[in-house]
Amino acid sequence: MQGLDTLAEKDDRVMLICADSLLAMRATEFVEKYPEQYVEIGIAEQNAAATSAGLALEGMIPFFATYAGFITMRACEQIRTFIAYPNLNVKLAGVNGGIAGGEREGTTHQFFEDIGILRTIPNMTILVPADADQARQACIAAASIPGPVYIRLGSGRDPVVFEKDTPFVPGKINVLRENGNDIALFGNGILLPRLMEASEILASKGIGVTLVEVHTVKPLDVQGVTDVLKKCGAAVTAEDHNIINGLGSAIMEAAAENCPVPIARIGLRDKFPGSGLPQELLDYYEMSVEDIVKAAEATIARKVRS
Amino acid sequence: MTKRTEHLTAMATQLRRDVVNTIYYAGDGHPGPCMSIADILAVLYFDILKLDPENPKWVGRDRFILSKGHACPVYYAALARRGYLPPAELKTLRSLNSRLQGHPDQKLTPGVDATSGSLGHGLPQGCGMALAARRRGDETLTFVLTGDGELNEGLVWEAAMNIAKYKLHNLIAIIDNNGKQSGGTVEVISGLYNLPEKWRAFGWYTVEIDGHDIELLTLALENAAKRGRASREEREGMIILHGMPAPHPDQPVIFVAKTVKGKGVPYMEGNNAWHKRVPTDEERELAMSILGGKDLE
Repeated sequence: MQGLDTLAEKDDRVMLICADSLLAMRATEFVEKYPEQYVEIGIAEQNAAATSAGLALEGMIPFFATYAGFITMRACEQIRTFIAYPNLNVKLAGVNGGIAGGEREGTTHQFFEDIGILRTIPNMTILVPADADQARQACIAAASIPGPVYIRLGSGRDPVVFEKDTPFVPGKINVLRENGNDIALFGNGILLPRLMEASEILASKGIGVTLVEVHTVKPLDVQGVTDVLKKCGAAVTAEDHNIINGLGSAIMEAAAENCPVPIARIGLRDKFPGSGLPQELLDYYEMSVEDIVKAAEATIARKVRS
Repeated sequence: MTKRTEHLTAMATQLRRDVVNTIYYAGDGHPGPCMSIADILAVLYFDILKLDPENPKWVGRDRFILSKGHACPVYYAALARRGYLPPAELKTLRSLNSRLQGHPDQKLTPGVDATSGSLGHGLPQGCGMALAARRRGDETLTFVLTGDGELNEGLVWEAAMNIAKYKLHNLIAIIDNNGKQSGGTVEVISGLYNLPEKWRAFGWYTVEIDGHDIELLTLALENAAKRGRASREEREGMIILHGMPAPHPDQPVIFVAKTVKGKGVPYMEGNNAWHKRVPTDEERELAMSILGGKDLE
């Protein structure tokens, strides 16, 4: 929550709302520095969301921060009716996003439906940063995006992907590599390092890859995505989320309407996961580098056929 | 009867008349839940609340949340009669592109401070608003009017804990304790009873009051508002009602207002069929003959 410190320093309307989640959010330092800007609700997420709505009605910029699933499922209706419907400036920061984020805690703390749930709610912006520095930047960016913003965070122990202060521009796709036009790889979050590795392997096999980070799932940069699809003619999406209604679905919707090409989705294949180590979980649940490489090759084959 | 009570009684009757007409023209709505709070709303909107209808977003205004949003016809009537809307607009309730949605919409309707309708959210929203007022350091008050049926929702009690924990003396809550919810009595449907004891156990200063005694409501709400605007030192010993000990200066105050669902229209009183129903031509005529006041123009 380093981003929140930066914000609070400049703007006393920025507040942190916790549901006994201060330790999980690693935000004790924030509270020491800005005690007046902290509200502790207790283990009561619906109440935290509705209280955040009240604060935002009065011009505050509350960041309600706790586990991704307790925000998006326990407090789903509060977000929908009392935050998104009046388009209030409430920011939601959810940790343990994805199955890797929840890791050893098991299914109760592994949240792979969050993006899908929020994606169907009007007025929502959804950001999925890939590492700690991007999370910091996403947090700062969220404060200047009007209306509700969801920042999907991992466990806080996610591998570093970007050098500090690498520009983060919400709402735009981020093209990381352009080694050719055989296949586009779209992905975000903790799967980004795996996509990078997969793109190296594909390149070594002589396959041209365009690797694109899509950290803003909503609103999707439809123009940017369409341009890449037109260029490559086939794509693989990868995310630590259910394959239903996450980034893969968003890309496929954009493709179906603007540039229908073969696409394969990498993600949790609509099943409940379980406890394990983060990287081991991603491998086991078919989100390995090899899965990505295979999906890319199979999708290119479909492109050639058609 | 004092002039003040006389005026507020007339306003309450006007609001009841507006409710019958509004729901009649709209062909939809909840009259019973409106009638039980007509007296409370008349006292708040025509006496207690600090407002500026010319400037609905004035930061120095008192906030009001109708947590039981389905009773919005009487709320819209109060806003119209207070000058936020032309009374003729009440006829547009629940119709396409109307500013008067089926449940209150904070973005659309001038004077509505918070969206409501999904039950149980007024107290947590009010908690956030009162915390913000404390940070602003001004004397604005947040009033929350909640039904008793919606106290079924666990969220209400989560907020009850927080409001007491944060010592939000600047939030004043009122329960419309008409004893009935959609499907029957609150006790039978949900097992919720002994409301005053429950609120006391949650740390609130709890006042039991007749929700149709306009004179007493005015007095008690005026005292609660004065206390809400006072400094901590001044609050020491400030009472809400004669014969009751003063609240602790840090306590939030809640009124458990005993009311009658459908109050003011004899055929609606205590008859839960009027929870949601549209009056026929004859029923409307009968109500008009009982309720004086002006029509919707």
